[in-house]
Amino acid sequence: MKIIRKYAVATTVAAMLACTALPVTAKAEVLKFVSWQKDEKGIGDWWGTVVKEWEAKHPGNTIEWTKVERSAYADTMTTLFAGGTPPDIVHLASFEFQTFANNGWLEDLGPWVEKSGLNLDGWSGQDICNFQDTTVCIMMLYYGTIFGYNEEMLKQAGVAVPTNYEEFLAAARATTKDLNGDGIVDQFGTGHETKGGGGQYIAEMASYLLDAGARFTNAEGKVTIDTPEMVEGLTRWKTVVKESLTPRDLSAGEVRKLFADGKIALKVDGPWIYSIMQQGAAKDKLKLASVPFDPPLGGSSNILAMPSEISDEKKQLVWDFIAIATSDRFQTSFATLAASTPPSPRADLTEAKAQIPHFDLMAKSQKAAAEHKIDRIPTGLEIQFNEFSKMIQEEAQRMIIEDLDPAAVAKTMHEKAEALQ
Amino acid sequence: MSVRFLDLARPSRQHWLGYLLLLPAVALVALIIVYPLFVSLDLSFQKIGMATLSAPRKPFTLENYHKLFTSPDFWNSCWVTIKLVLVVSAACFAVGLGTALLVNNRFKGRTLARLFVALPWAVPEVIAVVIFAWIFDSSFGLMNWLFIKLGITSQMVNWFSEPTAAFWVVAITMIWKGYPFVSIMTLAGLQSIPEDFYNAAKVDGANAFQRFWYITIPVLMPVLGVTSVLVVLWVFRDFSIIKVLTDGGPLKATQTLSIMTYDQAFGFFNMGYASAIGIVTLVLCVVASLLMLGRKSQAMY
Repeated sequence: MKIIRKYAVATTVAAMLACTALPVTAKAEVLKFVSWQKDEKGIGDWWGTVVKEWEAKHPGNTIEWTKVERSAYADTMTTLFAGGTPPDIVHLASFEFQTFANNGWLEDLGPWVEKSGLNLDGWSGQDICNFQDTTVCIMMLYYGTIFGYNEEMLKQAGVAVPTNYEEFLAAARATTKDLNGDGIVDQFGTGHETKGGGGQYIAEMASYLLDAGARFTNAEGKVTIDTPEMVEGLTRWKTVVKESLTPRDLSAGEVRKLFADGKIALKVDGPWIYSIMQQGAAKDKLKLASVPFDPPLGGSSNILAMPSEISDEKKQLVWDFIAIATSDRFQTSFATLAASTPPSPRADLTEAKAQIPHFDLMAKSQKAAAEHKIDRIPTGLEIQFNEFSKMIQEEAQRMIIEDLDPAAVAKTMHEKAEALQ
Repeated sequence: MSVRFLDLARPSRQHWLGYLLLLPAVALVALIIVYPLFVSLDLSFQKIGMATLSAPRKPFTLENYHKLFTSPDFWNSCWVTIKLVLVVSAACFAVGLGTALLVNNRFKGRTLARLFVALPWAVPEVIAVVIFAWIFDSSFGLMNWLFIKLGITSQMVNWFSEPTAAFWVVAITMIWKGYPFVSIMTLAGLQSIPEDFYNAAKVDGANAFQRFWYITIPVLMPVLGVTSVLVVLWVFRDFSIIKVLTDGGPLKATQTLSIMTYDQAFGFFNMGYASAIGIVTLVLCVVASLLMLGRKSQAMY
C-alpha cells in the first residue's frame, strides 16, 4: 500500500513537473518591432512579407509590429531604450542610430554577420553602419535621387530638360510665374522644404553643394566648409531661395504634392516621388530624367539593428529576422514591392526593371552616389549630426534673411562645426 | 491598546481619517509628479547624454548650470519666453475681458455669441495650429492674399522665414487659443457681481467707465488673479503650438524655454543639460506664480 502510495505521489509530482515544464520549453516568444513605415504603401507591404516569413519559419512565435509616427520616433525610441524596454527588432533612421550606438545600446553585429556568412561586400551605404570600428547595423535603404519635371511647363517656357546646374537655374527662373498678374506667384520653378528640421534642410541644399564640389568634411572627418566650393554651393542655394524660385515654409510632403499637382516645374527627390507623381492632378505631364547635378545626391535612409541588452535566445531570433530581410530573395522583392533600389548587390532586378519604367534611372543614380560615397551625414559628425544640421540650417537661414555674403557664412559654419567636433 | 490608538472615531483621531483617505491620491501624485521631478533634478547635476534609469549615477557637477547661464541661447530663450508671456497674456486679458463684458449683456443672440466666444477653447490645439499655418502660409496663404488685395504689401510676406513675422504668427495663434479661457472665467466672475452694486453706483451718478473701474475690476480681482496665473503658466509651458508652427525658428526667434528643453533632450540627446533648463523653467514658473498670487489678486473690499 505504501509502495502504491509512493508511486502515486511520484507520478503526480512527475505529471505536475511535466505540466509546468512543457510551457517553458514550448514558450512562445513575441518579438517587439517598432517602425514608422508600417502603413506606408510599398515599403510597409514589404516589411509585412518579412514579418510573415519570419513567423512561418518560427511556428508559435510572433512579431508584435507597432507603428510610431516619424515625428515622434526619436522621442519614443529614446524613452524605450532609457526605460530598459527597447524593441527587439530595432529600426532606426540612418541619421539617428549613432547616438544609440554611442550609448552602447546596440549589439555588435560583426560576429553575427561572420557566423551567418552574410556577404556585405558592395552593400550600398553599409559603410555608414560601421560605427567606431563596429558593425552596429545593416543598411536597409541607400537611395540615389531622381529628377522629375513638368514637360508642359518647360515647353510653355521654351526651355529644354536641364542637364546641369546652369540649365536648371535658367529653367527654374523661366517657369516661376505669376500667371494671373495679381502679384502672387502661382507656379514655381522648383520646390524645397525650408521649414522642417535641420536634417531635411541639409538634404534640400545638398544637390547644389555637391554639384559645386563642396563637402562638409573630408574622408578623415576633418571639417572642410570654408572652401571656395562651399561658397559657390551656398551662393546657389541662396539664389534659388532668395529669388523665390521655390515656395517658402512648406513641408517636404506639401512641396511634393504641389509638384504632383502641376504647381512646380522641377523637382529633385528620392525614389518615392514616383508614387506621389502618380496620384497628382498633373500626372500625365510629369516625366522623370537623370538628375542635372553631378554627383547626384544619395542618402542612407534606415537601418536594422539589435539591442545589446536582450537575451541570447532573443538575439538569435532577431538575427533570423535580419537574415530574412537581407536575403537575396527579399532584397529582390524589395525592388518590386517598395519600388526602390535595394542595398544588396545580389538582388535580381529583372522583374523590377520590367515593372518600373524608371528603375534604371534610380539604379544609376544610386550607383553614382554610392561610388562618390555621398551621404547627408558627414564623416566625423555622426554623433553630433542633429546639432550640426540645426547649426547649418540656422546659418543658411541667416544668410538668406540678413542677405549675408556666402563666404562669411561658410567661415562661420566652419568654425561652429569644428567647435562641435 | 493598539485598537484604542487606531480608533478613528475618537475626536482626537478624526483628522487621521482624512489623511488616510488622501493617502492614495498623494501617493499617486508623488509617483507621477514628484518622482520624475527628483529624477530631473538629479540628472541636472550630472554630465549625461542619454539617460538610462538602470545606469549608475554619474559624478555630481554644476557644469550644466554653468553652461546654461553662460549660454546666449538660454538668455535668448528667456527673452522670447518673457516677450511671449507678456504679449499673449496681455492680449488674452484684453480680448477675454472685452468679450466677457460683451456677452454678459442681454441682447438677441447672446447664447450664440457666447458659443462663438468659447469656440476656440474647444478646438484641439494641433487643429488650431494647422488652421493658422494655412492662413499664414507664405506662398498660398489667406493672409498674404488679403494683404496684397488690400494693398498693405506689394509682395508676399514670408511669415515663417522672417523672425519678427514668425513671432507674431505664434503670438496671434496663442492669443486666439487662449483668450476664451479668460473670457469664460471672467464671465463666471461677472455673473457673481450683485446688480445692487451697479444700481447704487448709478444713483450716485457713476458713469459706465467708473462703474467698470470701481466695481467690476475690484470684484473680479480674485478671478483675474487666478486666471492670470493659469494663463501665464500655459504660455510658459506651451509646446505644441510653437513646435508645429515654427519649431522655434527662424533664427531662434520663437525658441522658448520649453522648446529649448525638448531640443536638448530629444534633438541633441543632452538629458543632463535639458534637465537643468527644465529645473530653471520650473523655478521661474514658481516665482511668477507667487508674485501673481500676491496681494494684487485679493479682492479690494
